[in-house]
Parts: sequence; C-alpha cells; structure tokens
Amino acid sequence: MLFNSFTYLLFFPLVCIFYFVLPHRMRWVFLLLTSYFFYMNWEPIYALLIGSSTVITYACAYFMDSLRVDRKRKTLLILCIVLNFGILFLFKYYNFITDSAFDLLTYLGLRVDFPKFSLLLPVGISFYTFQAVGYAVDVYKKRLPHEKHFGKYALFVSFFPQLVAGPIERATSLLPQFHKVIRFDYGRAIDGTKLIIWGYFMKVVVADRLSIYVDSVYNNPEMHSSISLVVATIFFAFQIYCDFGGYSSIAIGCAKILGFDLMTNFRRPYFAQTCGEFWHRWHISLSTWFKDYVYIPMGGSRVSTSRRYLNLMVAFLVSGLWHGANWTFVIWGGLNGLFQVLLIVFKLNAPKSAAKWATGLRILTTFVLINFTWIFFRANSLTDATVIIKRIATQSGSFFIGDNAGFIYSLLGISILLAKDLYDELNLNLPIAEHTYSKYLWYTSLTLMILLFGVFDGSEFIYFQF
Amino acid sequence: MIKYASHLLIGLILVVIADIAIGKALEYFYFNNESGLLHRTTYSIEETEADVLVFGSSRANHHYDTKLIEEQTNLSAYNTGRDGNFIFYQTAVLKSVLKRYTPKQIVLDFTGTFAFNQSDYDRLSSLLPYYRGHEEMRDVILLKSKFERFKLWSDIYPYNSLLTTIAVGNLEFNKRRENNVGAYNGYVPMHGTMQGSIETVKTDTMYDIDDNKARVFEEFLLLTKEHKVPLLVVYSPVNYTYASDYSIELCGRICAKHQIPFIDFSRSDDFVSKGDLFHDESHLNAAGAELFTEKIIQLIEDSVIDNR
Repeated sequence: MLFNSFTYLLFFPLVCIFYFVLPHRMRWVFLLLTSYFFYMNWEPIYALLIGSSTVITYACAYFMDSLRVDRKRKTLLILCIVLNFGILFLFKYYNFITDSAFDLLTYLGLRVDFPKFSLLLPVGISFYTFQAVGYAVDVYKKRLPHEKHFGKYALFVSFFPQLVAGPIERATSLLPQFHKVIRFDYGRAIDGTKLIIWGYFMKVVVADRLSIYVDSVYNNPEMHSSISLVVATIFFAFQIYCDFGGYSSIAIGCAKILGFDLMTNFRRPYFAQTCGEFWHRWHISLSTWFKDYVYIPMGGSRVSTSRRYLNLMVAFLVSGLWHGANWTFVIWGGLNGLFQVLLIVFKLNAPKSAAKWATGLRILTTFVLINFTWIFFRANSLTDATVIIKRIATQSGSFFIGDNAGFIYSLLGISILLAKDLYDELNLNLPIAEHTYSKYLWYTSLTLMILLFGVFDGSEFIYFQF
Repeated sequence: MIKYASHLLIGLILVVIADIAIGKALEYFYFNNESGLLHRTTYSIEETEADVLVFGSSRANHHYDTKLIEEQTNLSAYNTGRDGNFIFYQTAVLKSVLKRYTPKQIVLDFTGTFAFNQSDYDRLSSLLPYYRGHEEMRDVILLKSKFERFKLWSDIYPYNSLLTTIAVGNLEFNKRRENNVGAYNGYVPMHGTMQGSIETVKTDTMYDIDDNKARVFEEFLLLTKEHKVPLLVVYSPVNYTYASDYSIELCGRICAKHQIPFIDFSRSDDFVSKGDLFHDESHLNAAGAELFTEKIIQLIEDSVIDNR
C-alpha cells in the first residue's frame, strides 16, 4: 500500500480509531495484523520473507542472550547475519554479482554460465533486514536484552509506518515503546498531522512533478544539451529529497499520531556546509546505522589515518551498494566516501562561525558536489552517466522545458520547499507564523496546493526499490 | 481526542470552503476558454455539429486538415484529436457527441496499443471537468481508478495541474497565436521538417490484451454502427520502417470482425522516407498533413457516397 494512495487515506484513519478504541493489551496484535496487511498489499507471498527474518533474528538473539561463551554467541550472530543477508543477497544482488562475474570472466577469455533467478525485488527488504540485523547486533553487544515477547518483536520488524522505506529504527529506541501504555495525546497528534501534510506536499507536489522533467531528460541523455542536463540534475536533487524526505515525514507523522517516536531522517540536507555535514542531515537513520554497525566496528576513527580513510571508503561503498545492485550506486557511494576522505585530508570542515558569504559559498559548493554524485545515482547505466557528464561539459544547445505548466509548477514547488527549509534552518520562529490562525492558513494552503498542483498518478516512492 | 477532532474538523471545513470557491472559479474560467486544447475538448464534447468528425491523439490532431476537408467536400469538419489521449478519451467524446447529434462521417485515427499501460488510464484526467455534466461519459472516466468518484467530491480536483493552461486559454494572445500557426476547427498544423535518415523501429510484438481497451475500442465501433454513422479507421503515416506491429494487426482484426474499413498508411510509399513531409517520425508537418488529408478526402467522399 502506498502512502500516496487513496487506499492509505482510508486505511490510516481507520487504524487510528480502532487502535485507540482497543485495550492496551490487544493493540500490539492489531498493529501487527495491520502491518502485515499493509505489506501484503504488494505481493502477499513476500510477507514470508519478513516472517523469516523475524524468526531468524528473534531465535538467534534469544539463544545469544542465554549463552555465556563469547565464541558461541559470536557464531550465532554470524549465523544470523549470514542468513539475513543471504536472503537479501539472493533477491537483490545475486544477478548483479553473477552478471558482473560473467562480464569479467568473458573479458578474461573464460565463459562460465551462472544460473539466473528472475525474482521480483521484495519492497523494503533492505530496510527491514538492516533493522532486524541491527537488533541482533545490539543484543550481541549487550546494548539491550533480547525481546521476550515474540509478537512485539515481530511488530518491531514490521511496524507499517516505517516498514518499507524507513526510518531504519534501532531496537533500543522503538522496542521499549511497544511495551508502554499509550494514551491519545493531542499535541503529538497535531504534530503528526502537520508532518503528514508536509510529507504529502513534498511527495505529490514537488517530487512527482519534478520526476516528469527528470525522467524525460535522464531517459534520453544523448538528446539533451548541457543546460537541460544540469537543470534535470538539480531537479533530481530536489526530487529525491522530497520523495524520500516526504515518505519519512509521513511515516514519522503517522507513528506520532499512534504514539510512537521514530527518528528524524532528514534535516534540511541542502543547507549542509560540507559533504560530511550533508551525511548528518541526509537519510540519518541509514548513515548512523552504517556508522554504528560498519564504520565503528571496523575501528572507526580510532585507528591509523590510512585505516580510517579505508574504513570511510568501505562504509560508503557498502552504503552505495545498499541502494541498488548496480555499479552506478557503487560509484555514487565511492564518490561520497572520497569527499569525506578529502575533507579530512585537507581539513575542510566548516568553521563554527564564518561570514555569511562564506557560509553561502560552502553551501553552494556542497550542493554542487552532491549534485555531481546524484548523476551516478539517477543515471540508468554507467554509460549514461558518462554521456551526461560529457554533454554537461561540452554540449551547448537549446534548453528543453517540456511541458511549460509542469516546469512552472516544478519551480513553484522547489521555491516553497526552500522557503520552508530556510525558515526552519534559521530557526526564525516569527510570532506571526506561530499564531494558530497562521498555522491553519499554512496547512490549508498546503492541502489546496496538493489538490491544485499535485501529481495523482500514484507513482511509487524511489526508495521502495532499495 | 475531541480537541484534536475539532481542530481537524475546522481544518477540513476551511479546506472544503476554499476547495469549493477555488474549484468554482476554475470551472468558470475553464469553460470560458476560447482557445487552446481545453477549449478544443469542450467544443468537441459540447458544441460541434460538424458533418465530419476526426478522432484520435496528437497524430490525428496534426494530420487531418479540417479546412481542406471543408473546402473539398462541402461538409463541415472538426478535429477532436488531443495529444496523448487514446481510445478511452475518444470513446468518451464520441458518446457525448452522439447524444447531441449524428455526424455524417467519422474518422478514427488509431494510435497506441491494446496492452495495459497505466498512463493511458491516468490521462483520463483530461475528462474530469466533464464528469458532473456528462453522465454518458462516466463509465469511461471511472476506469481511471475505483476511487475516482470519491476524489471528484473535490471541486479543485478535476482542474488539477490546469491552472496555467486555463489562464492561457483565456488570453486573447493565445487565440491570436493559434490563428497565426494556421489552426482551424481543431486541427493544429506542425511546422518544420524531419532531418536525417529513417530508422527501423522495434514496434509492438505479441502482448496480453487489456480487456478494458479492447472493449472500449469495440464500443467505439459499435456506437457508430448503432447510430448508422459511416466510420473509417485509419493508421496514419509514420516515417520509420518496422517488421511487424501487433497493435496494428489487432486493430485490423477487430475492424474486420465488425466490417469496418481499416486503412493502414504506415508503410505508404507516398510518405515513408520523405522527411520533408514530417515534423518527427510519428507526426506529419503541415505539408504532409495536406497531402495525407487529400487521400482521406477521397476516402470520405467514397464512404459518404456509398452510404447515401
């Protein structure tokens, strides 16, 4: 079920009403059932995969906690990781690895045929696998005891607001919330509703509108001039932010209304002054996951300088691969890792206070560098990415606008987004904006803009494919 | 919870009031358009009483010169073709037309595919402004989604993404611009010629048929039969070569089943490889349209005479 579908608009209010009407002891059952119902709207059979991941991690954590010998605990953890990532590998990476191996062997003059699997990628598999594995690691590291209640653990893995596209929650934060008695809270519900409206605006008005232009240009890069490709890349930067940020906002808002706190996933990323800061603002739940479960276990920054660089590169390359089974994502991750290394090598981290023009220049430079990485992220293939970069550098020509009205709505959407992000970034808190009437006006206007300018073709969220 | 519900209700009331006010204003300006594609759709659905009606997508819109048809046949003509809109749109428009009057000749320019394509359903949004006033179109419009009738509770929704198009359609400047490019009775000529050599294009191979599309296409044919309107189904020229096209084959088969003439110009030597007659590989320019319309006029004359 898509957040931006009419079905969800009926589903969520009904879930809320029943959830708060039910006694506390039955709520987890209800949420578990609705979460599986939510997921099974795509491909019912793939609910078995979530079920398997849940059972594997629960059993491993359960036995891990009861064992005292470290070696055995470690073996169990490895078994848990191998099984979970094995499923992920089979569905997401098998064909990519075998295709790449085939290409390499053919290049070396060898011909080896690998069996092919034509499996549909289960929606959100990378998200819930990481969340479940994170739990097993936390139990192994004794950050929390294993969850005794299997049903509530199953709910932790499948909680519908964040099941298919995050935020990737930590067991230490979300699991305890399923044990608390939750009462309806007016303030939280209002905050949640605001987040949902803003999330829909980001997705339907900005992201889906921009995608029309971006797809036209990126699907035929050899037909477009430098200026069109630059505009399409900038549009994509905002598209992916609004697509994924919008989803996160709706997810956090829905969970908030139900009484749960999910972690912030985006904090105005394009106001970052360095590429390092960007990753403290972009997909925060994933970047902190990689920091906690990949970078730090490898030694993090408490190792030799060269090893630290290696750790950073590995974390970002794996992060790239997490996004998709394609070399374009690996290069995207590699470039982001390289930027982090260069920041450290040249000591380019932003000073705490700086002149406004210097701050502006840093934000702009970071935006340009991040946009460069987006080319690889969005291009359909490595060949396309090289064509795009080459044409941006060399190909002058006419500017493709496409549908005039659509282009105007795109610019309008980006302007409103930037104005809101700027307002939040500067923490202005103007009294007039905080007034109840102003808030009514703002959220009513957002809703009307969704009706007026939204794209209602029920397009999927980009991050579902990851 | 009551406090939350009351705030939600106030917000909802504000949205409903604004939705009605803005929706009514958009409705007024939409139906007040005097030029542009929105006007052409409204005119096709609500006003035209032309003897010869052309149905189709952008290819129909740019290929059938209505002025030429009128001059050479002494029959009035209107081109209802609209960019990116295929059989669903065409059948819905036909239903409205036949409710008002019976044309003397209909030409359906077939383009598209009988395979499922979500965007064909999404494009039905171009008919949403007519949902309330045209009961006869509703069954087609509701193919868009099972929730469409609920979405249409909103007054703004039918005019989604149309604000600037509605505004431009109300400007005198747009009317003048259309006249300057030679638009006439729905027909909008394209200018410029296609450069370069022609390519062999990979066209449709066998696919699963979308039942809705096949049914609605047949409905179009049956409606014209029912109202005794002579119908010509045409596949207009393209400037590429292809091995075979399953969609064209299917169209031909369905037409044959209902004994409707189907004329395929996709391999016509008069057009293929003649870049000076094309704007791009799928669209004729004004010169191409003139030559093509001459051929259609001949067919219309034969058809009208045959059916007298």
